[in-house]
Parts: sequence; C-alpha cells; structure tokens
Amino acid sequence: MSFNISDKCIGCSVCKKICPMACITGERGKHHKIDEALCIECKACGYICPQSAVVDARNHFIERIRFRKNWPKPVIDKTRCISCVICLDSCPVGCLELSYTRDPADQKGFPLLADERTCIACEFCAADCPVNAIQMTGPAET
Amino acid sequence: MKNGCMGKVLWVDLTRRQMHEEVIPESVYRTYLGGIGLAAYLLHDRIPEKADPLGSENILGFVSGLLTGTGSMFAGRWMVVGKSPLTGTWGDANCGGNFSPAIKRCGYDGIFFYGISDTPVYFCIQKGRAELREASQFWGKDTRDTEIQLKKEPGCRQARIACIGPAGEKRSLISGISNDNGRMAARSGLGAVMGSKRLKAVVLSGANRIECFDGSAVKALSRQCSDAVQSMPPFPPAFVLGYLGAVLRALPAQPKTEAIFLNTIYKIMLKRWGTSSLNQILIELGDSPIKNWKGSNEDFGSEKSARLNPDVFSDCVIVKYHCYACPLGCGGLYTKPGTFEEVHKPEYETVLALGGLCMNDDPESIFQMNDRLNRAGMDTISAGGAVAFAIECFEQGILSRKDTGGLDLRWGNSQAIMTLVDQMIRREGLGDLLADGVKIASERIRKGSEAYAVHAGGQELAMHDGRFDPGFAVHNCVEAAPGRHTIGSQLYYELFQLWEKVKGLPEPDWVYLKSSKYIPDKEKAVAAAACSRFMNIMNGAGTCLYGAMLGTQTFPFFEWLEAATGWGKSPEDYMEIGERIQTRKQLFNIKQGITPLNVKMTDRALGRPPLEAGANKGRSIPIEKLVSDYWHVSGWSPKTGHPTPETIRRLGVS
Repeated sequence: MSFNISDKCIGCSVCKKICPMACITGERGKHHKIDEALCIECKACGYICPQSAVVDARNHFIERIRFRKNWPKPVIDKTRCISCVICLDSCPVGCLELSYTRDPADQKGFPLLADERTCIACEFCAADCPVNAIQMTGPAET
Repeated sequence: MKNGCMGKVLWVDLTRRQMHEEVIPESVYRTYLGGIGLAAYLLHDRIPEKADPLGSENILGFVSGLLTGTGSMFAGRWMVVGKSPLTGTWGDANCGGNFSPAIKRCGYDGIFFYGISDTPVYFCIQKGRAELREASQFWGKDTRDTEIQLKKEPGCRQARIACIGPAGEKRSLISGISNDNGRMAARSGLGAVMGSKRLKAVVLSGANRIECFDGSAVKALSRQCSDAVQSMPPFPPAFVLGYLGAVLRALPAQPKTEAIFLNTIYKIMLKRWGTSSLNQILIELGDSPIKNWKGSNEDFGSEKSARLNPDVFSDCVIVKYHCYACPLGCGGLYTKPGTFEEVHKPEYETVLALGGLCMNDDPESIFQMNDRLNRAGMDTISAGGAVAFAIECFEQGILSRKDTGGLDLRWGNSQAIMTLVDQMIRREGLGDLLADGVKIASERIRKGSEAYAVHAGGQELAMHDGRFDPGFAVHNCVEAAPGRHTIGSQLYYELFQLWEKVKGLPEPDWVYLKSSKYIPDKEKAVAAAACSRFMNIMNGAGTCLYGAMLGTQTFPFFEWLEAATGWGKSPEDYMEIGERIQTRKQLFNIKQGITPLNVKMTDRALGRPPLEAGANKGRSIPIEKLVSDYWHVSGWSPKTGHPTPETIRRLGVS
C-alpha cells in the first residue's frame, strides 16, 4: 500500500522537493513516481501538488491545499500532554521541539511547533499521541 | 510487517566499507522477539569461537525493541550487544534516550558492525541512504561536543546519535556508548569495542512508520497505563525516606511489597525525584554498598547521607527528562550558571558509586564527576568501583603515594577522587591502570589487592548489595553478562507481580521473616529464573525496567505484546521465549570458552567474611547452592551450568 501519482502530473517537481523520505523520482516536465517501499503516506505531496494528482492508498485523489500557511497544524493540549515525546519522534520533518520554562518550580516540558513552515501536516504526531493531546487545526482551505 | 518489527537488519563491514541488508523471517521474531532476543539469535552463530573482543571478528550491534514505536509506553530502550572485552562473555548494555525508535525509523530492527576501519568513521543513515563518513575531525571530542558537532553536518539537524567519547576511543574496558547528550549504555565495556572499530558515532535520521497488529488496542492500553502513572497521591518530603529506610531496617520481618503499596510508592518516588530518591533510603536499608563493600550504613550515617539526599539532585532540575515513550520521566536536565548547561542529573547508581562507595559526601564533586564521565563516555558505576578499590589499596599500603602520583587517596577525599577520575578518563598514571576495571587492575597490582577488587566475572558490581537481597547476588553470577543489577532480585520479583499473569509462579507470603531470604529453596530459584526470562522478553521488546516495577496492574506488558503482534501467545508462551533467549546467551558464553562455574563474585560482596556492623551484620550468602538451584530450574546442569541436551532440544536453540 502506498500513494501513487496519476496521469494528471505535469512534472513540476514540487512533490519531490517536499517529500521527507526523498522517495519521489522523475525528471522535470515528466511524470513523477513514488517509491512504494519508502513512502510513509504523509500526504505532503498530495497537499502541495498543483494538479491534485496524488492518489492515496485507498485510491482517492488528495485535494491540494493552496498556501502552506493554510495546512492543518498540530495544537497541543497541555492539560492532557504527558511529555512522553512520542510526537517529537513521529514527526518526519522534526518541526516539533520540547519547550519548558527553565524554572525549577515548573519542571514539565511540552512539545511546541517550533517551525511552522516546516510542518507538512502529516498528522502523525496527533495519530501517535497516546493520550490524544494533539489536535490538527487550521483553515484547511482548498 | 504488521507486528511491530521492521523485518530486516543491516550489516556493516567496517574493513571493506560495505554493507548489506538481511531479511529476518517472522518465525525468528516469534521465537526470539526483537532487541536482545534477535541479537542473541544472530550473534551466537556469527561471532566465532574465542573471538578477540577488540578484534575485527567481534560484532557490535545496536538493536531496538519489538514494542518500540508501536505506541506502547515505556518502550524506548535500545541495546548494544557484542562480546564483552571486560568479561569475555556475552555483553550487552541497555539505554533509554531517543535512539531506539530511530533505528526502526531507518527501517531496521538492528544495525550490526564488524571489521575494523583504518581511519575513524561515523555511520550515517539519511533519507534511506546508509553510508560511512570520515570522522577524524570528531575523534577526541567528548560525547556532548560530538553530538553538537554532528548535528551541524548537512542533513543531521534532527538526527539521533549514539557515540563514544575519549574513554571508548582509548579502549577503556569500562567505557560505554552515549546518546542524547549523556544517557549511557554503559555496562559490559562495549564502548571499547566501538573504539576498537574506530567507529565514532551512529547517526540516524529516518521517518519510517512502525506498523503493528492492532494500533488502537495498543493505544488504549497506553492510555490506561499513562492515567495510572499520572496520578500522584500526597507524599512526604524527601528527608522522610531516610527515616522510612531506618524503620524498615529495624523490623525483623518484611512485608510483601504489595502489602505496603510499594509499587505506588516507587512510582511516586521515581516521578518526583527520579532514581536519586533511593539515595538515602537504600543506604539505611542496607542495599547500598559503602566503603568498597566493607562498610555499612553506620559508616555512612544520616549526617553524611543527608548531604546526598534526593532534593539535592532534583532541586536544580529545570526540566524533567523523559526517554522516548515514557510517561514517568525519572530523568532531569539541570543547569548551573557558569558550570553546567542542560546536563543530565546524576542517577542513584552514580551518586552511590562516587559517593558512599568512596565515602564521599560532597555533592558538588558528584555533579562534576557525573558530567565528566558522561562526556568521556565512561561507566560511572565501574569508575566508582575502581576509585573505591584504589582508595582501599592506598589505605592498606598496597599502593604508595608514588604509585598514586602524589594523590592522598583517602576515603572521602573528594578532590583526590576527582583527580583520579580525570586520570582514568585521560588514561594517565594510576588512572591508566584503573581504566580497564578492577579485575585487571588487581591482577596487575597483585599484593593481595584481589580481595578488594569487587566484581562478578570482571564486571564491577552495581550499587545493590546481595547481602541485603540475595537475589542480586544470584543474578550477578548467573546472567550471561555477569554483574548485572537490572535483571532480578527478590524485591524485583515482588514488584513485577508476575504470578498475577503467569501460571505456576510462586506468590510471596504477605509477611515473612527477613532471615528466610538467605535460605535457598526451590521457590527462590523459580522466582529468579522467572526474573531472567521476563527481563529477556522486556529487553526483546525494548521496554523499561521501571515500567515493570509498577506492577502488572499498571504495566500491561503481555497485553501490549499481544496487541502489537497479534500472535495469540499466552504469557507462558512469552516466558518460554525469555527462557530461549537466556539459554541462547548461555550457549554463547560456552562457545566462547567461558566456564560458568568460574563466573564468581568477590567474596567480600557475598558476606565472606560477614560484616561486623550495620544493616547486613552477620549475613553471608550461600551462593553456590542458590546458583546451582537456578541452573537446575533453568534446565541447565546444576553442576556445570551447561544447558542440558533436552533443554536445547525443547527450546530449539541448537
């Protein structure tokens, strides 16, 4: 099971640039291809594709979301978070970091979306959080 | 694979600078799990007989656990494996931090290195591509600087790194491998193996997804576990723990841990203070060895131990440190302006090894040495043991002031202790002698110093006294990697509560006389063997001992395994896997020419002669009978410790 790129592909290579696994190949102007063995189904290629040419594992086209600022972003509920750092590890692009106050009276650390521009809206952090402390929110305009 | 495993391992030939993948059939995981089990399966056959641990034929493996990355709590342990240069036996070292999931996210359950590189190299996986890169520019740097510098390399910003420091490079036999700025896989001297291969670091960046049989069931179990861990009933301040230890010591009988809610108390202590919560209470109880194992709680009384009380080590913490997938967070990072910037706080073992064992009650010196040893990549337990050994040799006149280079190596002289630790790190003077552990040092010094070198099979003992809990002595002697305190003891068995899940295991009485702990019987042997088997599957799954100590009600280990694998195995089936791993490791030792009967603890640590004062006064351990009983219930010859042909056939380990 993996994502595929349909015939709508125009070979613009933006998917190739954003793929965190570097598993998309293809010359500029030609049809691109996803390496099934490496694809982690993060959907970044689908969100960025201007042609909405990427097909997910269930054979549904992934709708492009114009402008990355509109992509869903993780929001952390600190009252639920247990600081297990699973989310930091799940993130394929390393956009989450541990934040803390540096005050010995408050020794708890929380994940923080340190680099919004790097986030690819894969939702792995939210999916893997054992206590459902992460919600993906955002305008998600198409 | 939808069972938590990645289904393959990577082999790296450092001599030829080649690598190849090996697909592991599912049947291997079903019979050995991942982690330590997979390593035992592979290394038994592939490390040749009588291999030189520091030679090219030794294999150094980094393995992750089966449950790592599946969403199970406490499943963030990675293990280094190989033949130990310190003991000549099976060697493994277990560590938390953030490295374990990185191995699997790169697509492997383990990465194994053999051969020797002609120049320093580091191994790197990035975007699915594995390569060896020159590391001359990092050679000589400490573990923390190495990580910082490596993260500046192209594409390595988010990499997880395991590396050696100067101790491993200089092949100190008590060196370990560090990750996440000072969390150490310290035991068995495997840092020296890495140094001998001129492999400075393993740098992993990967984002593979780890699939399991029923992710939502795993998550539901994790939620339940996490909820139980987060609840924090009110608890008295730290100084009360010392008094609690003194009260429990005075009682002639011992209540079963369940009877005094010890699992819950333990959770609160770990969550609030980390392992340093044990500093005072274990000294008072008699579990902490004092003055190179010849002293007692009376020598290191409350006026001294109070200076090392839990608050001293937790008040300066600026953020709790959680290993990957840990809801507990027993670690802590602390900062002291002008000296330390976000370094790991000293753990119980470190505090006692560099504190009580050397009669040192100066916490500042312990902070300093903890950081220096972590940076150097040297085992703090063994370093403390080596210093205590040297002090006793000096006090007894075996080492002169000339031998110590002018150091006034007296009990509790913190300045001299710090200087000696620095010399060990740099392998200078007396430090050069001690940097290979107490057994080798005593063999070189002779003059009766052997009696002061406290070890089991060459491995310095951790800060848990078999005279307090004979279970520690048993596991120090019977494990394939001797001198290990993280496998079992009578107390651990009670905390694990295995009888609740595994049929046929004995349940301790609600109250029993302390004197009964020292009488060998079949129940004790069965309990000890159960601890070994259980910890083998724990280390196969990559889960943390502290999780298991919360008890089966809070830590649903077998349920997690079932949810992740869907194999339909019962707890008894999993325990049989643990038995298989244990036997496989024992066969590894026999293949390497180890005679199990010769793996012995130093007499002093067995109460021979018994202590004349303190909590363990008059106690000695009938170790020969305890070990023989253990071998018998393990299906090994009670006379030789060799697995019997019937056991080998039954477990299919031939």
